[in-house]
This record gives sequence, C-alpha cells and structure tokens, in this order.
Amino acid sequence: MSSDFYTNSIVPYSGIIIKICRAYTDSQEDFEDYYQEVCLQVWRSRDQFRGESKWSTWVYRLSLNICLTMIKKKNNNRQHTVSDYNAPVATEDNHAFSDESLNLLYDAIRQLSEIDRAVILLYLEERPYKEIGEIIGTSHNNIAVRITRIKERLKKILN
Amino acid sequence: MEKSIETIWKDGFLKNDALVAPKLNNLYHKKSKHVIAKFNKMFKRNLIGLVLGSTLFLIYAFFNDILVMGIGVFLISNAIVIVNLKLKKTLTNINKNVSSYDYLKAFDKWLKDQLILNRKLARIYYPLYFITAVVGIWFSGNFQTLLSEILGKPHQIYLVNGFPILWLIPVILIVSLMAIFGDKIYNFDVSLVYGRIFRKLNDMIADIEELRK
Repeated sequence: MSSDFYTNSIVPYSGIIIKICRAYTDSQEDFEDYYQEVCLQVWRSRDQFRGESKWSTWVYRLSLNICLTMIKKKNNNRQHTVSDYNAPVATEDNHAFSDESLNLLYDAIRQLSEIDRAVILLYLEERPYKEIGEIIGTSHNNIAVRITRIKERLKKILN
Repeated sequence: MEKSIETIWKDGFLKNDALVAPKLNNLYHKKSKHVIAKFNKMFKRNLIGLVLGSTLFLIYAFFNDILVMGIGVFLISNAIVIVNLKLKKTLTNINKNVSSYDYLKAFDKWLKDQLILNRKLARIYYPLYFITAVVGIWFSGNFQTLLSEILGKPHQIYLVNGFPILWLIPVILIVSLMAIFGDKIYNFDVSLVYGRIFRKLNDMIADIEELRK
C-alpha cells in the first residue's frame, strides 16, 4: 500500500473504519487486527471500485463485510462465543474512548446481533434508510421497523 | 436530561481521541502465522489419514483375500509418511523471529523443495501402487479360480509357461504412463487438497512485495 493511497484514500475515511471495527471487537488487539485487515482489503480491492457510489459508501460497505466475515470466522473457530463474551471495560488499557457515554453505547451495541450492529452503525452515521436497506439487503420499510426496535433495545441496555 | 443515542454518538466522536487510527505495521504478521499453522495442521492430518487409511485397508485386505495388495499399499503409504515426516521436521528450522515477508519466503522455499522431492517420489509410488494392485489381484484366490476356469476351457490366450504374457502389455503401458505423468498426477492431487492455501500464500507474498515497493 503506497503512503499516497493510505493518506488520500484511507486516512480521510479512517473514522468510518474505526467506528465499525470498534463495534465488532472487544479488545484493543482485535480492534487493531480488524482495522489493519480492513485497510488491507480496501487497498487490495481498490480496482473493484467502479465509482457507482461514493468512495466513503464503498469503504463503509467493505468495512462492514470484512468485519462480519472476520467475526463469523472467529465464531466458527470457537475462539469467541456468546457464552464467553465479556463486555469491554472502559479502561486506559483497552484504549476505550475517553467519553464514558460513548463507551457505554459501544458496549450496548456489541450486545446486538452482528446485523443489528451494522444497521445501527449506518443509522448513527446518518445513512439514508434506502442505502442501509441496500447494504443489509432488505427493504427500507423493514429497516425503519428494525431501527426502532434496535433503539428500544439499546435504551433498555443503557438504562 | 437523558441524552439520546444519536447525541451520545455525535458528542462522543467530537472528542480528539475518539478516532485515533492504530498504526499499520507488519500487516501480515498474524496472517502469515495463521496460513502456515493451517498448512501444518492439514499436512499432519493427511499423514495421519494415510497411516489410518492404509492400516484399515490392510485389515480389509486380510479378510478379503487380497493380502498382497493390502501389504503393498500399507508399505508404500507408510514409506511416503516417513519421508514426509522427515521433511516436516526440517520446517522447524525456519526462523520465526524475522519479518512476515522473510518468514513466508522461507516457508515458500521449504514448500517448493518439499514439492520437488514429492513430485519425484510420485513418479515412483504411483506406479508402485498400481503394480501392487495388479499383483494383489493376480494372487487373490478369487482371481486364480477365475483364471483356472478361463484357461480350463478352450481359449485363444497366448501363454508362456502358463502365463498370459500379453496381459502384461496394458499393465506395462499404465505403469509407464504413471511413471511419466506421476508428477502431474501429484500436482493435481496436491492442488485439490492444498490449492487454497498455496494461492493464499502466493497472494500474500505478492501483496507484501507490492507493499515493500
């Protein structure tokens, strides 16, 4: 990956990648792994970008797909199961955010299913329902209902 | 007032530390270790499979009147296992305390050397397997009974000292073809089992080389 590619095509969108990777990992080590993997796959797949959507949207989709694939692989390897899931603790050691509320929100998001995590991340990033539907592969009405349900669940967890 | 999740999200990411990207270094560190570990696991599993398979076949052969074939297959298979176990031992000589690239290159070299040797061996053991099968069938009681029946009746089979010498022609032909194309058969065999790992390895090396430019 040339430093030019990293600086121009990844750094401006690293926020998106970070937000997604954080939602699918519960340790700094995993987070760095997922982040590196996403950057690598964005670089490897750069020729597949045909300009039909914005680069940021494309990075979004790719990041989600990669995180979902990685978490699936991890689950398959039984290295990380629901039963042994430990919500990350907001300490300096695991490089959690300094904003306590954001940490709590992330902890709550991590308790959702993988797909619901993707939906809520896209929603919080203010992606239109239509686009969320396209990315997730469902209708925009279904997304609206789903988001309401997820928000209720998150509120319940946070309270 | 209680903050909405939308506000928590927006406000949280306004803080400076929220979006600090981790440094990208040694991108392939884990992947390289993972792919080699996966290969080792498959390699070990295949060798165990060969030992188990040949043992089971030996037992089957014992009870089914093809003992010569069973012994032959058992001996050839276990000779392959012994050779490959020796090769596997040399894998531990690869230095792991180097960069992912050097580690992968060293593994790739080991793999290529191993494949070269196995290709040469394949030109011997594939024909041997076939010869064992033919000899095994020849010496089986059922076949001998069938042969006696055929030869007991009027026939046009050309015999030399009671042996249908012309039957050796297709056997020799097949053995020769196996000796000639044994390496190709081996390549096909190996690509079926390890193809994905080999492609992954090559892709990784190619990626790292491009990254190093």
